[in-house]
Amino acid sequence: MIAVALPGATVEVVDETGAGDHLRATVSAPQFEGISRIDQHRLVKAAVKERFEDGTIHALSVKTEVAR
Amino acid sequence: MADPQLKEKVEELIAANPVLLFMKGTPEMPRCGFSMRVVQVLDTMDVEYGAIDVLPALQPLREVTTEISDWQTFPQLYVNGELLGGADIVEEMFASGELAEALGVEQPAEAPQQAAPAQSPPLQIE
Repeated sequence: MIAVALPGATVEVVDETGAGDHLRATVSAPQFEGISRIDQHRLVKAAVKERFEDGTIHALSVKTEVAR
Repeated sequence: MADPQLKEKVEELIAANPVLLFMKGTPEMPRCGFSMRVVQVLDTMDVEYGAIDVLPALQPLREVTTEISDWQTFPQLYVNGELLGGADIVEEMFASGELAEALGVEQPAEAPQQAAPAQSPPLQIE
């Protein structure tokens, strides 16, 4: 979902508890260039919003970096 | 739609406190692992900050911050009126020195004390 919302992004997701609902995502995307961290996270969270709303995900830790 | 009176109150608080943390619990007794992590970073920075416990009005406050900052989860750290981020962003910015810069303080030499041991994941109240 993240990769679809941010074309060209590299996404790594780690399932922290093994239950699939507490995830850690590392996202590297060219779209992050020149925007603040909070805006980078907003983009990632917007991409997975549906999964929060339907309860598939309870917690998502996000780490972002600008893809070069 | 957020409660307009609560929204006004929150906006006043953000304007009045250069460093303001919305958290679950209090700095003395955080009720969520993510909130505890931000408290630990702020304590390490030796900076004065206001803290608001969101738990008594979680849903109304969530509606307010969604309108103000397009951010639904807590903790939320505001510096000079702007949302800086939650626990992940605050820790990342602490590690890179950007947080010290945003707060206008020296980067402390010591790392924040370790959060809960690895075997107990952060508490998520919801």
